[in-house]
Amino acid sequence: MINLLNTFLNGITSGAIYSLMAISMVLVWRSTRVVNFAQAGMALLSCYFGYEAVQRTGSFWIGLVVAMIAGALVAAVIEFGFMRILLKHSSQGPIASVAPIIATLGLLGLIKGVIGLVWGNADVVIEPPFSVVGFKIGENTLTFSPLKLLTLVTVTVLLLIMTWLFQRTNLGLALRASAHEPEISRLAGVKVDLVRTLGWALAGAAGAAAGMLQAITGSGGMNPDSIEFRLLLVFGFIAAVIGGLDSMIGALVGGMILGLVLAFTLTYASGSLVFITAFVLLLVLLIVRPQGVIGQKAGRRA
Amino acid sequence: MHKLKIGPANSFFGFIAAGLIIFIVSSKFDDLLVYQGASVMMFVIAISSIILLTGYSGQISLGHGAFLGVGGYAAALARNNLNLPIIVCVIIGVLAAAIAGALIGLSAARLSGPYLAGSTLALAVGLPSIVNQFDSLGGEQGLFFDVGAPPAFLGEGFSPYRWFFYAATMAMLISVWGIRNLLNSRYGRTWRAVRGNDVAAQLSGINIARSRILAFTVSAGIAGLAGVILAMTLGTVSPGAYPLVLSFSLATGAVLSGVNTLGGVIIGAVTLVAIPEIADSISHRFGGSEVMTTNLPGILVSTLLILTVLFVPNGPVEQMRLTRNKKRAHAQR
Amino acid sequence: MTQINRRKLFSASAVMAVVALAASVMPAQAAGEVGVTNTSVKFGITSPKTGAAAPGYEKIPGAIKAYFDYVNDKGGINGRKLTLVSRDDQYVPATAVQNAIKLINTDKVFALLGTLGTASTKAITGPAGPATVYKVPTLFVNTGFSGFADKKKYPTTFALLPSYAMEAKVIAKYIKDKYAGKKVGIVYQDDDFGKDALAGFKTAGLTFDVAVPYASLSQGVATVPPTWIQKLSTAKAEVVVMFGVSSATTALLGNAYALGYKPQWVLASIGGDATTIASAKKIPIALMAGAKGLSFAPSPNDSKDEWIAQFMEINTKYNPGVAFDNNIVAGMTTAFLTAQAVKAAGQNLTRKGIVAAIEKSGSTFANPSLAPLGYSSTSHVGATGYWVGTYDTTGGLNADGGKYTVYTTDSGSGAVVESTFKRPAMPENGLPK
Repeated sequence: MINLLNTFLNGITSGAIYSLMAISMVLVWRSTRVVNFAQAGMALLSCYFGYEAVQRTGSFWIGLVVAMIAGALVAAVIEFGFMRILLKHSSQGPIASVAPIIATLGLLGLIKGVIGLVWGNADVVIEPPFSVVGFKIGENTLTFSPLKLLTLVTVTVLLLIMTWLFQRTNLGLALRASAHEPEISRLAGVKVDLVRTLGWALAGAAGAAAGMLQAITGSGGMNPDSIEFRLLLVFGFIAAVIGGLDSMIGALVGGMILGLVLAFTLTYASGSLVFITAFVLLLVLLIVRPQGVIGQKAGRRA
Repeated sequence: MHKLKIGPANSFFGFIAAGLIIFIVSSKFDDLLVYQGASVMMFVIAISSIILLTGYSGQISLGHGAFLGVGGYAAALARNNLNLPIIVCVIIGVLAAAIAGALIGLSAARLSGPYLAGSTLALAVGLPSIVNQFDSLGGEQGLFFDVGAPPAFLGEGFSPYRWFFYAATMAMLISVWGIRNLLNSRYGRTWRAVRGNDVAAQLSGINIARSRILAFTVSAGIAGLAGVILAMTLGTVSPGAYPLVLSFSLATGAVLSGVNTLGGVIIGAVTLVAIPEIADSISHRFGGSEVMTTNLPGILVSTLLILTVLFVPNGPVEQMRLTRNKKRAHAQR
Repeated sequence: MTQINRRKLFSASAVMAVVALAASVMPAQAAGEVGVTNTSVKFGITSPKTGAAAPGYEKIPGAIKAYFDYVNDKGGINGRKLTLVSRDDQYVPATAVQNAIKLINTDKVFALLGTLGTASTKAITGPAGPATVYKVPTLFVNTGFSGFADKKKYPTTFALLPSYAMEAKVIAKYIKDKYAGKKVGIVYQDDDFGKDALAGFKTAGLTFDVAVPYASLSQGVATVPPTWIQKLSTAKAEVVVMFGVSSATTALLGNAYALGYKPQWVLASIGGDATTIASAKKIPIALMAGAKGLSFAPSPNDSKDEWIAQFMEINTKYNPGVAFDNNIVAGMTTAFLTAQAVKAAGQNLTRKGIVAAIEKSGSTFANPSLAPLGYSSTSHVGATGYWVGTYDTTGGLNADGGKYTVYTTDSGSGAVVESTFKRPAMPENGLPK
């Protein structure tokens, strides 16, 4: 019984982080129709800035805010300075579908290399702000600690803020409009390019938050080659696809489903099957319900 | 304009000629260079498999390293458990990888773009880790893959690394010749047709799914061959030999070579092997630290990749041809 | 027309690329052993200096070099100075193989030493590996895989550390003696290294109430460790053996703390390196306090030990700024044994000669190990036993009861006995005799 509870709690905690990463990828997809594999790298970079802030101020929260701001800036700069040029150059020819994907891969490699150059390849640790000791139920200690509770709360708050932003504000309306109908939006006076950069900035902030939370709840350290950021990359993408690349709610649902499935695989099967389970889950879903759990049926051809 | 009909016979001799040149020139190289040469040949094979899949059939794979792994492990298992001659083990490796490719291709045939990319990414990460699940696969340390001593006719004391290079080169020549013929054949044209406009292709009677699955199968099989070559040069197979970064390198190499044509494949392969060496010399020349040596190759390769995608998206070979055609058209005015 | 050009272009680019690769033409090696001159002998090491596995181990090449510098200052060995070329392999076997080829072919070293990690060493010294192909000795490898002691499989490789099987047998005896009747669990890495240990436990007759294999964390998932604790605490294990690498040990201790699980830990030496755990900064080092650990060399805290004192002095003078810990001890021990072997091989120094010298007199070489060395003409096994101690709150390992009780055994079915071995006195100034 305790095992079940532990597994469930583990699942939704890690699922929450994947959701955040998935949302960041969905945001980018909705604004530019590009899957940005460098997203995790950008998140990692922002977390290093966050790390510097934590080192200097001793506060995780300041670090989180700094990381999110850094994430927004990094994303905006990349969208403005890199993606636009890329998309302009490669919109024709046989390379068109492949170019943005490969280019973002290149960007990922570049970011990792730069991080290594500046901060070194050894692990860098961010102190968790809350206790890692699990809550007790009677005699048993759960794997759920104040820190993990904090993670869930933080993700929920961020998600609420983003939903509000998207559904209730003019900015959100502009973002949704420019993604779906850029020409009409332009005619309606929306500064489509600016709005697109803002979309990326939001995605960058979300990704940074996911990264910071992962850094404190995972094995405790981060480095350019870290497994955890590889996880974030792969699982964030899988979660986004499971939910349907077009929907934010989908990203949340996808993240949770993924987190739970993996947690159960971990506890009841074996650690080495986790990645392959994620792969199978992804494949099955894409075959059975290509639009994702929530998504609308639309052209699946990118 | 004069149009010479080139039949398969001529290109065959062309390959033989290339092979002879390579063998003659490499006899002057020391063991380290031929060892790296074997790596280059491995990359040529692997990158051509990507060119087939992505450039011709239009399907992107970010996880081809997994197919290399399947090939390598299958060959190693066959060798260790069944004690078969090396050639048979190589064939087993290729077939195993091809079967894996067919299976993946079946599911992937309906996906495209980022969905295919992400799925193959998940495969690249997922497959190596199951090695720890099954005892017979050797776990993290992996298995030995001993191809045996060089054949007797090469003489006593013939360096095994030189032998690896010869074997890899022969594998490369045979496979690239085969791929080239395949790409110039009906199959290649079908792949191009489906990639260009799948609706039109379907209307003209092409079975899209079958064409794409075939591409995946062939591409994976060739990748499996590269995997066996890699295993040969390392003497072992282990999950660490087929990491995610290998898949990324292959995609990178394909773009650097020009993903649409086979002609420039050697460029990508040489770049991938040469860059770490160049980075090493650069950081030594400028008194760099260990940190610099570790990170410089990644930075150089990534920058090259980005520049290539931005400015030479069709690859250097195709770019040269386009420029030449433009100049020719211009001159004809 | 385009078809001809394409074919020509391909052949041409193939040739150009191949020619471009031709960096230099290496002449055949002249007579006289490689890497040896009248005034110097060159050694090579490939090990992790950067990357995830580096913390702790990165100190070893520097420590070896420091000892070599010390020896050179005192006149060298038989008139030759010892030099070291060190390359970084980041714990990746493919890179280790490339480095070995470079060390042998380009740097032209006399022998390799101290290679780190079972996978890398296997790749280098295996049947297709460069050490075998070029017939280069690989001395005093830094891994506990028992296979390397097998002279038939690895004829020119010499182990140094006691094997994992030996360590398992010593742990088994210790647990049976001190913790009889308690429930015992084990967490082990699920590959060659962990299985080596399991075989040792089986031979020594220790059965576990719960066994938790884990996939090496480099391929696996970092969220796995809590499940280990769950399994251990569900089985109510009171004594837990940890046979895994430092990163896994860190995760184990950290998660046990988070889950309030406090068994008696017995940490195998490979994962019990306190410096590595401390430098990772992921758990407070005080979490190690009370755990049992094993070592075969004296504790680096034991400044009364003559070897430790001598090494400390050498480290301060020739390796300034680097903190003294068991990695330094390991490096200098390797370096000392190497120098001793060079001396024993005589003025006419050859690769075959050094192998013969270690086989002949290696077991009598004075050295810091508190367990006897087992080199002989039939075995390349190094140290053959361990002493057990307890970690304190600063991560230092101190012998129980203040004195080193060494247990010796073999990697096979031999019994574990309390050793009566008296370590020979350190030669004057720590220089080989």
